Amino acid sequence: MFSDFAALIVLLPVIAFVLTLFLGKKLPHGGAYLPIAAIAGSFIISAGIFLEIYPEGIVQQSIPWFSSGSSTMNMGILIDPLAIVMLLMVTFVSLLIHIYAVGYMSHDPAKSRYFAETSLFTAAMLSVILSDNILQFFISWEVVGVCSFLLIGFWYHKPSAAAAAKKAFLVTRIGDVLFLAGIVMLYVELARIIENPANAFEIGSGNFILQFKTMFEAIPLIDKTQLTYITLLFFGGAVGKSGQFPLHGWLPDAMEGPTTVSALIHAATMVTAGVYLVARTFPMFAATPDTISHGVPDALLVVAYIGGFTALFAATMGLVMNDIKRVLAYSTVSQLGYMMLALGTAGAVLGSKAVGISMFHLISHAFFKALLFLCAGSVIHAVGTNDIREMGGLFSKMKITAVTMFIAALSLAGIGIPFLNIGTAGFFSKDMIIEGAFEYGEVTGDMIPYAFAVIAALLTSIYIFRLWFMAFTGKPRSERHSHESPSVMTIPLMILAVLALFFGFSHTGFYGYVESNFELMGVDLGVHEGEPFHPSVIVILLPVIVGVVGFLIAYLIYNKRILDMSKIISSQNPLYKLLYNRYYEPKIGADLIGVKLTHDVAAQTGEFIDRKIIDGLVIDTIISSTIFKIGEVIRKMQTGVVQNYASITILGVALLLVLLRLEFGGI
Amino acid sequence: MNLNVNFILLAPEILLTVLAFAVIILGLLITDRSKNMLGYISAAGILASIVYVLGNGMTGKVSYFYDSLVVDPLSQVFKLIFLIVSLIAVIASIEYFKNNRNQDEYYALILLSTVGMMVVASANDLIALFVGFELASMSTYVLAGFEKKNPASLEAALKYFLIGSLSSALMLFGMSLIYGITGTTNIPGIIDFFSIAPFAAESSLGVLAMIFLVAGFGFKMALVPFHMWAPDTYEGAPSVVSSLLAAGSKKMGFVAAFRVIVLALVAIRADVHFTFAILAIITMTYGNVVAVSQRSIKRMLAYSSIAQAGYIALAFVVTTQMSIAGGIVLALGHALMKGGAFIAVAVVGYMVLSDNKNAKNIDDLSNFAGLGKRAPITALGFFVFFLALAGIPPSAGFIGKLLLFYSITIEAITPTGVLTSSWLLLIVIIAILNSALSIYYYARVIKYMYVLPPVGEKIKEPAAYVTAILIAVVGTIGIGLYPEPFINMAMNAANIVLGV
Repeated sequence: MFSDFAALIVLLPVIAFVLTLFLGKKLPHGGAYLPIAAIAGSFIISAGIFLEIYPEGIVQQSIPWFSSGSSTMNMGILIDPLAIVMLLMVTFVSLLIHIYAVGYMSHDPAKSRYFAETSLFTAAMLSVILSDNILQFFISWEVVGVCSFLLIGFWYHKPSAAAAAKKAFLVTRIGDVLFLAGIVMLYVELARIIENPANAFEIGSGNFILQFKTMFEAIPLIDKTQLTYITLLFFGGAVGKSGQFPLHGWLPDAMEGPTTVSALIHAATMVTAGVYLVARTFPMFAATPDTISHGVPDALLVVAYIGGFTALFAATMGLVMNDIKRVLAYSTVSQLGYMMLALGTAGAVLGSKAVGISMFHLISHAFFKALLFLCAGSVIHAVGTNDIREMGGLFSKMKITAVTMFIAALSLAGIGIPFLNIGTAGFFSKDMIIEGAFEYGEVTGDMIPYAFAVIAALLTSIYIFRLWFMAFTGKPRSERHSHESPSVMTIPLMILAVLALFFGFSHTGFYGYVESNFELMGVDLGVHEGEPFHPSVIVILLPVIVGVVGFLIAYLIYNKRILDMSKIISSQNPLYKLLYNRYYEPKIGADLIGVKLTHDVAAQTGEFIDRKIIDGLVIDTIISSTIFKIGEVIRKMQTGVVQNYASITILGVALLLVLLRLEFGGI
Repeated sequence: MNLNVNFILLAPEILLTVLAFAVIILGLLITDRSKNMLGYISAAGILASIVYVLGNGMTGKVSYFYDSLVVDPLSQVFKLIFLIVSLIAVIASIEYFKNNRNQDEYYALILLSTVGMMVVASANDLIALFVGFELASMSTYVLAGFEKKNPASLEAALKYFLIGSLSSALMLFGMSLIYGITGTTNIPGIIDFFSIAPFAAESSLGVLAMIFLVAGFGFKMALVPFHMWAPDTYEGAPSVVSSLLAAGSKKMGFVAAFRVIVLALVAIRADVHFTFAILAIITMTYGNVVAVSQRSIKRMLAYSSIAQAGYIALAFVVTTQMSIAGGIVLALGHALMKGGAFIAVAVVGYMVLSDNKNAKNIDDLSNFAGLGKRAPITALGFFVFFLALAGIPPSAGFIGKLLLFYSITIEAITPTGVLTSSWLLLIVIIAILNSALSIYYYARVIKYMYVLPPVGEKIKEPAAYVTAILIAVVGTIGIGLYPEPFINMAMNAANIVLGV
């Protein structure tokens, strides 16, 4: 019954977007209730569909959109386990953040624009999730990108926000171009397969060429090298969207937007779209040939290494940032790296289990990271600064925020009790990833991804507790009178905290459900499903040990202050300098590539040609003035005297006579 | 053929005719103040006809009155165009002619001109064609001069009437020559005659007849050099009537040309594409070049309308199914874009007049400064119509131009990539350059609307105008986003044109 209304999941926020955009200014709270009601509706429908289809149903609805040659594109909805868990998470988190934003944005004069844009964002994100074909996926993906651009630059009068928005847009564009190139290659390949009668490949009735279903069915027929290129191009899109190395630089800068935007878009939902893309097209990744490492599909190997490296690389920068939101941003980049790592490593040895592992971390990350951001927002709201050096001693003033943030930090650090199966959401999800990476190492003998994962886990624990101790304990380092946020902000915090604590217990059911995804779609992954593995005790304990060790290090340094950090944190220390300057990525990215190469060389040359040669010479002196002059002359021909008009008509008849005679020949 | 056939497919024409008389009679009976309701009645009648046309006659072919009228996909597509334009114009007129004591005559004339256009769309006989032409023309002559206190409106009407009469005379002369050659006025009969005796069509008399017909139809289409009346008339006539003329009555020429000239050319397998190519190129280039230097938006729209006629006329150059379908889609799109744009000008006029009752040059470019702030929906409408007219996706203008340009390109280049006809490719290049040029004058207005500061307060846009503009906006973008059914409709109609 609910599945009949699946399209409404997207349409409700779209309607809310239009209404809020036009009427928001006249409504209380900038029209915030419209998107809240719409997203609540989407959540209810999603939940209804989930109850309806669990455990092995799938909703598929498709209509033809347009034809190009012999192939027809479609618009459609596919709700499988993968999509439904994402749907529930996105609608739920989005709903909570919208409610929180009523309080957070209450003083902003442009709040109706804010709510309209976040509503459109939610619609586009839900459309990404629901797409049953790669084209619609890409279009929604682009709309998501536009919303992200608009919201990062929400305070566009701030130059840094405008610059960050531009950077985010341009950097993710690199990924998007790669993604689009992948789609084009895939389309050409599929069209070739269909045209060749030897393949006997037909698209069933009601199915369309770029549907995921068709893509998966065609996998065995796609040229293997082509498949590697296509999947790597797709992954290029995912790298851009999910802020993976080397396209990670935009995400920390994106923190210039309102904190709620950071929580919604740059932590919980949009940035996970890249992971979702890889999970969605996982059968293609898994089917790539293993030319580099035996038994490991090339594409998954790349995913594993990029993900693992990003996880570690971003965590190192998280250690030294002083802006509370930037720490969280690097943490997000790092955790997204974990999700990619899971898809790559576990994908190579455990097949579709990897999708379950990665998605589980994605969902639990969404809860605790959204919570961290909202807590950060609550702190910023109270003390009026982003700099953790100016905070301190906030525990007694904002108890709810402090406690919920501590829970989120525990979850991020993956603290729990092994063997008893008690722990935070992050404990279950991250453990599985690290164990998956270990299993990968066992099977292939390549322990590097595992090392990435373990070291990053230690750093994660350090930077997040550093943040917490510096903000909430010790003596207040500023004079500002701070207070707890209003309940419209604290209640979403508490709800998310409950989820960050207890969501982990759903892990067995969750894995089984999401793993069955491709089976339900009738796709043969062609990957050997690994033996149920029994890692040694130390492997199971290690993630928790590093988490606790990290906590202790942070506690000793930042709370007890047994170590004087001022020696390490000095501009003389080259390592600190390197980290604090973010590996000089902004310098390389913005100054070298952006300014020197693109602007100074390419753009200036282009401008010279355009301005001096084309514009100056051709447009100005020749074309433009000539057209204007001709226009003026003809304008004078339009005398307004009707006799002249009649004469011209008769002249026209004569002209036609001459022309037609010329064509027919002879009179 | 007997007269006992079921007239059900002609219901829209019958309904509108009856409605026209009903409106006049009702106008005599009710007070001047309650005449405002006549607009609503007319709009309802037209809406009902649209629904009816959409639901009936889209396939197959039925003929009436001894084969003088025919209902087939071609007639239905064009009836749809005429009815939509007429609907937009009537809805906008509810505001434009509010409290005018001659509203009854106004709506009756609009309805009758619509019926005239629909008769032309269905005409299968030269006499019926001529009668339809005259019915539509006579009504619009009066409509153009409907603001009888405004000298510009009267001048517009008079010029339109004089040049129109000249064209009617030429057309009628052409028809009589054809009757002299073939001995029949029935169009299929004429086609049959020419296909048996193609030399008769290529004789001096046949060519002369064809030229006269082209001149007559070209007058309606505003093809250069038969366009001279158009800028003066569109500028002087009330904006809602300009909308009807530029968007609707212009297409009458196209449907007539499709039915008579293209069919005849196909029958005699004559290769006169070169002539049409020259007409099309001259028309679009002339329209675009002159539009560049206009400051009156209505004049600019008039020249842009001439340019669009040039694009649509590209359909005659290769006469393939796709090119004709492209012409029809662009005609449909143009009806929406240009119809909507003239209505939007009416809003600007309303805005300027409410600032200052004695304002002159109300459609001057300077009045568009900051329109985005003063009248946001109207400005949005202009924005959509201009981008669509320039052929930017997703819009009806883009789809139409795409089909037209593509159809000519595939004639010029074989599927294997061999260039067979370089002059056809040259036409496409000229047409694309023309599109690029047109962006200049459209973008200039957009700049005025959104970049320059507003010159007055925000106004309340009247609901009737907003409705009319939104119908056109939705149609323009809708066809661009979901072109499939419209292309199929046009392809079916093109089959009729080609006699398949």
